[in-house]
Parts: sequence; structure tokens; C-alpha cells
Amino acid sequence: MKSKNLLSQLTRIEQSLHDFSFDELTSEEALSLQETFNAFKLKLEAKIFDPQGKVGAETFNQEKSTKINADATQLIAQVSHEIRTPLNGIIGFTDLLKEDEAMSKPQIEKVDAIQKASYSLMEIISELLEYSKLSSGIENFENVNFDFRTVIGDVCYLTKTLISEKNIEFNATVHENIPVALKGDPSKLSQVLLNLLGNAVKFVDQGSIHLTIKSKQIDSNKVLLEFDVIDTGIGISKEHIGHIFDSFKQAEFNTFAKYGGTGLGLNIVKQIIEKLGGSIRVTSALGQGSTFNFKIPFEIGNAQVIKNQKINRITKAQLNEVEDLNILVFEDNLLNQKLIDQRLKSWHCNVSITEDANQGLKILQNQKIDLIFMDLKMPNKSGFEVTQMIRNHNDKNIRLIPIIALSADFSKSDKDNCRKHRINDFILKPYRTGDLIDKIIKNKKSFERAQMREALVMNPNEIDKMKNKKIDLIPILDECMGDISILEELIQLFINNAQEFMNLAKDHIKNKNIEQLEFAAHKIKSGLKMMNCDILLTIIQQIQKGCKEEVDMSHLKILYDQFVTEYPSIEFEMAKALNNLKNK
Amino acid sequence: MKNQVLLLAEDDELFASLLSFRFKKEGYDVILCKDGKEVKEKLNNEMPDVLVCDIMMPYFSGLEILDFVRNGLKSNLPVFIISAAGNETNELSAFKLGANDFITKPINPSVLIARITRKLILT
Repeated sequence: MKSKNLLSQLTRIEQSLHDFSFDELTSEEALSLQETFNAFKLKLEAKIFDPQGKVGAETFNQEKSTKINADATQLIAQVSHEIRTPLNGIIGFTDLLKEDEAMSKPQIEKVDAIQKASYSLMEIISELLEYSKLSSGIENFENVNFDFRTVIGDVCYLTKTLISEKNIEFNATVHENIPVALKGDPSKLSQVLLNLLGNAVKFVDQGSIHLTIKSKQIDSNKVLLEFDVIDTGIGISKEHIGHIFDSFKQAEFNTFAKYGGTGLGLNIVKQIIEKLGGSIRVTSALGQGSTFNFKIPFEIGNAQVIKNQKINRITKAQLNEVEDLNILVFEDNLLNQKLIDQRLKSWHCNVSITEDANQGLKILQNQKIDLIFMDLKMPNKSGFEVTQMIRNHNDKNIRLIPIIALSADFSKSDKDNCRKHRINDFILKPYRTGDLIDKIIKNKKSFERAQMREALVMNPNEIDKMKNKKIDLIPILDECMGDISILEELIQLFINNAQEFMNLAKDHIKNKNIEQLEFAAHKIKSGLKMMNCDILLTIIQQIQKGCKEEVDMSHLKILYDQFVTEYPSIEFEMAKALNNLKNK
Repeated sequence: MKNQVLLLAEDDELFASLLSFRFKKEGYDVILCKDGKEVKEKLNNEMPDVLVCDIMMPYFSGLEILDFVRNGLKSNLPVFIISAAGNETNELSAFKLGANDFITKPINPSVLIARITRKLILT
């Protein structure tokens, strides 16, 4: 049986579990089910993580083990992709089903159940991927200065959104002696905290969750932070508390049935904490709650760096720049969705969020969007694929919208790919609020300039079309009442004017004297009209428009260069036409 | 009979020379001015028989010249204003100040001459 088949069956099991009533199960049946389940788990573990079946792999040669782990990671990455694709189909279509007005309430409830199951499966897959990354040592850790309280603030905010539907109290105590700036990996710290707090939310129906953080100085540039996540949830029994951090282990057999999950979460937490040089332990009493206590050493960060980051955080001018911008976000992770949604909305941006390429394109077609955030690692279609769809869109206004990529890690190839797919910019997750607004403003501005340039600079096709129009001196000769010498005089004046314009405009552009440039353009305009020089006239009109709209000098320079390029052939054609008339 | 004198105020050289050539052909003596200051000087020295004046000029605009003719010099001199961009406010101001006609560019010289000749006959 191919792994694909097995996985699709597992998906089905996962979904049917939600509808399955365990009350109908006799204890005998339950036991045999447990045995089958454990046997399956053991085989799976042995197959993936210990391919030669040697438990306690000390005999392994290190190199080999790393390679096998890397292979396993690759396998898991591929498998999760295989699962995510159909799963996204399920989620997408259930969304459509829910929009169907003919659906009855019980039907909608069932569809909701399918969706919920699909989302939890998605979560499982992400955990699996994370687990394999950690186990194989592929996971990279950052070492940056970060504002500790901002990170904790974000974590608390997300926790509060998680408990919003439950009757749970949540509060956090952060001791004052913790330095403002720490050095380390803020994203890993928030991951650990969110995992533990998320678990707490899962296992507490009513009651409270409390987070306390204390600090102890180790030496002059290091502190040991001690975190307590205390909940009044279901608790863990004595016999299970010993292997709560083992992979694929959950506290009670029925934990999975009731709460779902892979049993990988806590193992991931433990691995991260240990890789950060810390330790974790748990105390618990069944029915009364649990306390997860962990300690991680951190270097004291450079407060000045943080302060600088804070100073250029957000100014009123920045807020004015981003106000009322229409922003579309492609992001699949619910927490990240909430975080970016809240931030952008607090700046009075109009935010649309989707993880589905087609839905996103629909939004782009129906609404004016000024800027797009693109998570690169989405299920179903990758951010690059979605970007390609946008960049190849047949509507020019959609095609040109600036795209900022979001990703937790940017490898060199990611950066190259961004360039290749014409992604305008990228932000590393977790991003600071100041970075986010900076990037928005920067890209909004360069987009406006590009649009202006597009509107101003004539495209070559247009010029070619105009070039095909021959210079016709007959109408002007008629106005001169057939007097060639007057026509010749006019042409000489035209040439003098054009050359004078080119000399003056060059200086005005160099001196950035928009006013004088506009005047010079105005002066030459009626002559161009009279001589029917459509190309040069259009360029001059664009220069005038550009001067009025105060575009960047560089764009006026482009237009000026176009004038200079086109002018000689006009002069030549005119002289030729004049000669023809003379010879008649 | 002495030729009628036409003062042409137009800062665009090309257009000015074409018009000047055409007016001469119509039998006018043409005085050419390049800006508003020059026009005022000429008007102070000697009144022409017709004034054809571009609206957008350095120093004094065509409307300022018109105001100067009607209210400063208290003259009924026929004044024709030509304007680059059709601008209703300018057109209205020109007629309120007593312009004989207001002609919008692009201007076909033949049409301009026909219009001016016709208006001059009527006055």
C-alpha cells in the first residue's frame, strides 16, 4: 500500500472520529483498538525515525544518521504537501457548501465539523514537519536583539483571541527586573509559549490560565528566565506525567479522541527549549490543573538597538501614509492571520485575508487592492505560484500591484525566486511593527512612481505608430498661401526653437528647475502643433503633465531623452519634405 | 491710403511669424511684440488700429492688457484675445472686459483672419 493511500485513509479516520460515539465501545473493543493503534504507531516510528530497527541508535554512525534524518524530513515534507493539497480542496469546497442557501442548519453543522477536522489535520501536519526539522537538526535558530516585552505582548494578545470563545481568565505577570532587550530567537520563544498556552486553552473549559516570568542574573551579560504556565485544566495523572514529553505520546489514551493532536507538540517544545540551552518540567494533579515550568538562558541584548527600533516605530506621518490602503493578505496560519489583520486594521487599512489563490484573485478582480502580502509557504499553491498568477493576469492594474513576501526563513534561493517572480520585497517573520509599516510605505511609494512613469513614458509601440505618419507640409504651405520662402522661414524657426528647448531643458533638468522646464515646454508646444509633429508634441505634453504633478526628475529626464532621440529624424523628414515641395 | 496698423502680441515665435506674414498679406502693417511689457510700451507711444493679443504672456497677461486698453487708456480699440487652452473663466472675463472676440487655440490662421476681418467690418 502506498503511503498516499494510507494517508488518505488516516485522513478519513481523523474526520470520522469527530462523529464517532465512543460510548458505543465496550472496554474490550477499546483495548483492542488501543493495541492496534499503538502497534501502528510503533511501526511508523520505527520505520521513519529508525529505519534499521535499532532502538537506541548509539551504534549509528553520526553521518549516516544525519542523512537518514534529512531523508525523513524530506519525506515528511513531501507527504505533508500531498496531504495539504486535497485537504485544502476539502476546506475550500466546504466553504462553498456553507454559502449555499439551500443548506439546512443541521447540514451546516456537519459541514462545520468537516472543516474543523480538516483544520486540525492541517495543524497536525505542520507539527509533524516541525518535529522532523528539529529532530534532523535542520531547524535554524536566530540570534538577534529583541524587545522582550513586545514578544510577550504579542503572545498574550494571541492567547486572548484563543480564549475569546471560552469562559477562561488569562493573565500574565512579567517581573520588572527582566532586561528590556534580550538576544536570541524571539520566534522560537513565542512558539514555545504559544504551544504551552494553546494546550492550556485546549484543556481548560472553565477556570484560569496564568503566565509568570521571572529573571535571574547568571553573569554580567546573561540572564536565566523562568517561565510558569499555570492552568486549572484537566491535569495529568501520575503514571502519564513521566512521558508527557515523549514524541507521539499523549497523556491519556482518550486525549486524542477528545482533543485531537499528534502528541508532538510538547516534544517540539522540549526540543526547542533544550536547543536554547534550557530545561522544562511539569507538575500536575489530575482534575486540578498543570504547571509547566521552563528556564531558558538569554544574553542581555543591546537596549540601544531596540530603542532605535522603537523610535522609528510609528509616526503620525507614517499612519497618514497607510491610512485607507486596501491590503490583501495571502496567509494560511490562523494566528498569523489574526496578528496581521489586527495590526493593519489598527492603522486603518482595509484588510482582506485569504489562503486560497482563486479566492484571492476574485478579490483582486472585484476590489481595488493597493498592496499584497504573500506568505510563501502556503498549502495547496505556494506563494510563488500565486504570485505568478497575479503577475500573468490579463488586467494590467492587477498585474502591477506590489507584492511583499512573508516567510519565517529566507534562503538564498528564496530570495532569487522572489526576484524571478517579480516579488517586490520581503519581510522575515516574526516582523516588527515598524518594519511592517516601513515596507508598506516604501512599496506603496515605489508603486506610485512606477504607475506615474508608466502613465508618462510613452511605450515604443505608440511611438512607432506615430512614426508611420509622414511629415506633411502641405497644410502649412497652404497657410503660407503657397509661399515656400515663408514656409522655409517657419521651418528654420521651428528648428531653432527645438534646439533651444533641448539646450534649456537639459539645464533645467540638471538644476531640478521644474518651473523653468514647464515654461520651456509650454513655449515649444504651439510650434509643434503647427508643424503636426505628433510624437514630439505628445512627449512635450507628458513633460508638462509631469511638471504639474511634480513627478521625480528622473522620469522627466526619460521623457526628455525620448524627445532628443526622436527629434533628429523629424528634422530630417521636414527638410526632405521641404525639398520635395521646392522641386515641384 | 495708409495701411491699418495691427499690433500682434504673441510669445510663440513660430505662430507669430506665420500670423504676421498672413496679416501683412491682408494689407496690415504688423507690429510684433513678444511680451506684455512691450505691448504696454507700444500702446503708450502710438495706438494701433487693431490689437491681437495672446492671453498667456510674460509680465502682463492678455487680460491685463485688455483691462489697460479699456480702463487705463479708455480706448475702443478692437481687441482680439487668443488663448491656448479653452478656459471658460478667461473667456467670460475677456468679454466682460470688452474683448471683441475670444479665439481658442489651435488656431487655423485662415479662420482667425476671416473672423477678425468680419468683426472689424461689423464694428
